[in-house]
Order: sequence, then structure tokens, then C-alpha cells
Amino acid sequence: MKQATHKTLYNTHGWIGIVSGILLFVVIFSGIPALFEDELEYWQSPSLTALPKSQQFDLQSVVDAAHEENFIYSDFFISPANDVRSHHILWNFDREKEAFNTLFLAAHDNRVVEADQSDSSHILAHLHTDLHLPSPYGRYLIGLAGMAMLLAIIAGVVIHIKWRKELITLRPKRSWRLLLTDHHKILGLWTLPFTLVLAFTGTILGLLGLISPILALAAFDGDVEKATRAILGPKAEIIGEPLNRYPLNDIHNTFKNDMPGVTVNMISFSGYGDRGGYIKFSGNHDEKLNNLQATTYKMATGEPVHTANFIGNGPFQRIFAAVVPLHYVMYGGGWLKLFYALSALAVCGLIISGNMLWLERRGHSQEHWLGKLTLGVCGGLVLATLSLLSSSTWLRHVGADQAFWEETIFWAVWVITTLVALKSQASFSLAHGIIRLAMIISISTLIGDGIMNQRWIWTAEGWVLFVQFGLLIFTGILFVFDYLLPASKTTSEKNKPTAQPITS
Amino acid sequence: MSVLHQTSAQFVNIINHTASRIVAATLGGFFTTISITVGITLWWPFGETVEQVFAGGIFFFVFWACLFYWILLSANGSRAWIKVLSILLPMLIVDAIGLNI
Repeated sequence: MKQATHKTLYNTHGWIGIVSGILLFVVIFSGIPALFEDELEYWQSPSLTALPKSQQFDLQSVVDAAHEENFIYSDFFISPANDVRSHHILWNFDREKEAFNTLFLAAHDNRVVEADQSDSSHILAHLHTDLHLPSPYGRYLIGLAGMAMLLAIIAGVVIHIKWRKELITLRPKRSWRLLLTDHHKILGLWTLPFTLVLAFTGTILGLLGLISPILALAAFDGDVEKATRAILGPKAEIIGEPLNRYPLNDIHNTFKNDMPGVTVNMISFSGYGDRGGYIKFSGNHDEKLNNLQATTYKMATGEPVHTANFIGNGPFQRIFAAVVPLHYVMYGGGWLKLFYALSALAVCGLIISGNMLWLERRGHSQEHWLGKLTLGVCGGLVLATLSLLSSSTWLRHVGADQAFWEETIFWAVWVITTLVALKSQASFSLAHGIIRLAMIISISTLIGDGIMNQRWIWTAEGWVLFVQFGLLIFTGILFVFDYLLPASKTTSEKNKPTAQPITS
Repeated sequence: MSVLHQTSAQFVNIINHTASRIVAATLGGFFTTISITVGITLWWPFGETVEQVFAGGIFFFVFWACLFYWILLSANGSRAWIKVLSILLPMLIVDAIGLNI
């Protein structure tokens, strides 16, 4: 490779990393709880975890039970009980109030159950998907960050020509800069397949809304609605003829026969109560990677009107159908999710070491504002996430305001940590302080779960134990990180700045 | 005459600047990718319309990444813009024919 090409790629890798690094840390770290959204949503509501284990689901009985509770809407959705939770979730989006109407039914007897008020799983998942910014701008920003990650990975792969040696080189007794360099290369190389998949799928998910008009322009004369209907299926054509009863179970059985091996995770009703109403079953194939399957039927007759069966279709439809399962681990089980989570943590380390290395190469200390911002935002997010989970247990009896207080604590902890880091003159001490505080908060979550919800780790089981175990593993990782992180920077004569310094 | 010469020299300096090369790689690459995506979606010979749409969607990100580095690795800004235009202009013609403009 020519020296000029290598230099351009090296600089591009560094600049893309420094511009998008902190944002990428936020997206990737928040992706860990987002990956476990279902499990956390289940864990955060002890009244739902107390239900007897059941995945029993009779569509007609569920709809009847919902109607008895005055849950009657033209458009609504049902998510049946699954291997994580033993309750069905029904919801409708009220466009006027811009709010969801939600109903929880116990799977074993279709009785209404009251969920607890915690919203921690949604707060964290929304940070990952939209950064809590107005839709769709947050998602576009995340898509662009994903694209930046993809470009940084490509340059990173090309410039590391001695990758076999770098894969196993770690010199912990040498200088701080060499420690950063070795960690950055090791983490980057070992997580390469994971980061590539994550960046590519994340970019598609983030920017799909942005490129949809371009694709619709070419294939559907610019009609995005028409393109959406062609891919996802049509909406109901309301004809104003009331109909009180539909052959719902017959249609459900038809879907199960037509799509064997598919686990239904959502049933969408459109135009319920009208002869022109549609019902759509969506699910994931149990044994395929490109596993998104959906069929729309006429609710009155059970006649199929649209099928999105990507398995038997062209290669690009199959690639697209694999994007969501690959990104959110909708293949494999809880252990694969745990592997994803650990890999995501490694990528977080990759980003932080990259930022620090960029400053080191320019002769700046960790007290440079960019170093402080990295520590504040990244460390602050870790503290805020654990504070949110901890408050989810301790604030259980607050009542309707629980979600509000949880969100307030989350943002307050994040902002305060960032401000403290920006003011601090001792970054290493502060980093140790943040890690130790995070460990304490993580353990306090387990204690809070025991005291407030009577779910001690030695009595818990199933997914509650899985979440608690996950928190213990994370605490252990923080402990090791705290032990290995030096108390101050070690320098060597050889480590002089190798790049132009930036003005602070 | 000297004013014209000075202005054109300034223009060449701006075009050849590193910032111009970066703009060509980011913005030029982006718009070229859009034109290629429209072309692929219009002319993709395999499968039905939905397959064409997904082909365009997948290629969008692949082409964007490839074009970014191909343009960025140009010797200077003017060469970067020549690369952009060498793809963008033919693709715009192809798109116009496909869209019956």
C-alpha cells in the first residue's frame, strides 16, 4: 500500500472515530439493555413475574376478554405470551391523545393483571432507537453514526496490515499509550465480525426511512405509501358494514398451517368491527435466520390478501429479512444475547481507547476537554443506566409517578456526571470513582429487588434470575476494570506526540 | 484579464483543497449513491418489484461506503470531483431514461 493511501486511511479512521465516537458509545451501550428489552420489561414488573408459567393462547377468548374490559378499538394489536412472559399484551395507539391504551391478560386464565409502573426498559430502548429525540431525526442520527462506524471499520481493517501479530499483542507493563494502542487493536480485531454485522444492520435500520422515498421514487412513482403496502401488506378498507363476529381462531389455525415453524409475536387488527377489516399475523421462523414472516387476511372471510414470506423469495429480500434478527438476536437464545452484550461492551472499550489514543498521539493529557467529555458522557451513561434499574426496584411503591421519577433520576445522574467530569482535574481518580459507584448501584439493584419485591438472587428463577445474573456479571466486569485501570498515566521517553496537537 | 485569471486561480485552489476532497467524498459520494440506487432499483433484472426495491436498498450502503473511500483517496480535490461527476452524470441520464423524464 502506498504511504499516502495509508496515511489518508489512518487519518480518516481517527477523525471519523473522534467525531462520532461518543455518540456511538451511547448507541452501543444503550443497545445492551435494548437487546434485553423483553426480559427487562418482564423483570421490572414483579406483579407480572408472579403469574404462573403459561403460554396458553386462544385468540377468540383473548379478544372476548378484552372486550369485556371495554378494550374496544378499530385498530389494535396483540402480543401473545412467549417464553419470557406469561401474559398477553394488547395495545392501541390513540392518535388524538398521542398515548397508548394497554391491557395485560394473564395467559393461564385471560384475567386482567395490573402491571407495575416502572418504565426503565422502554427508557433505555428508546435511547438506543431514537436517542429520545423527535421521530425520525434521532433514528436518522443513529443511522448516520452507524454509517460512520462502518467507514471507520473499513479503514481500520485496511490500515492494520500486521493483524496476526496485533491479535495477540498486549504489553500491560509498558506506557499508557502502548496500553491503549494494544487494547484498541485487540478489541477491534477480536470483535470485527460482530462490529461489522452490527454497523451494517444498524445503518440499514436507522436510515431505512431516509432511503425509502428514493426507492419508492424508482419502483412506485414516488408513492411511499404504495411501496409500504407492497412490502408490509395493505390496510383495511372500511366499508361501513358492521360485523360483530369473525372466525378468528379459524384464521389463526390457517396461518399456523400455512406457516409451520413460525412463532407468532404480533397480531394486528385493522378495521375491527367492520366487514372490510383485516387481521395480520407476524412472527419469526424458529429455524431460519431471515425469519420474519407475515400474512394478512380478510377478517370476515379468512381469505389471504398479502403474504410477506421472505424465506422463499429473492436473495435481497432474504438479506433484508435477516437485518432485524441479526441486530436484535432473534435467532439463538439468551446465551447468544449474552455473547452479544459482552461483545458490545468490548466495542464500548474500543471506542473509549480510540478517543484516548487520539488525544495521546497529539500530546494531550486526559485533562483535555475531549478526554473529560468522553469520561463524563460514557461513564455518566453507565451510572445513569444502573441508577435507572436500581430506581426501578426501590421506587416500586411510588405509584403512578414512578416512570417520571425514574426518567428524572436517569437524566440527572447522566448530566451531573458529565458536568463533574468536565470540571474535574483528576480524570483517573474520577474514572475509578465512577466505576466503584456503578458497582455499588448495581449491587443496590439486587438488594432493592430482594427487599422491595422479595426476589433475592438465591430464591429467584427463570428470566428474573437471568437479569439478576446479568447485573452480577456486569458488576464483576466493572470490578476487573477497576483493578486493571492504572491510578495514573505511565509515560515513557519514547512516547512523544506523533500527530499535530489540537488547540483546546 | 488579470482579474479573471486571479478568480480562476482562486477557484482551482478551492477545488483542489483537502476540504473540497472531503466534501466530494461525503456529499458527492452520497448524491452519486442515490443516483446509482435509483438506477439499480429501476433496472434490476431479477425478481419482482419488491426484490428490485430491496436490491436498491442493500446496494445503497455498499456503494456509499465504496464511493466514499474511492473518492477520498484521490490525489487532490479536482480529481475527486471528476470521479464524482464521471459516475453521477451518466447515472442521472440512466435514471432519467428509466423514469421517462
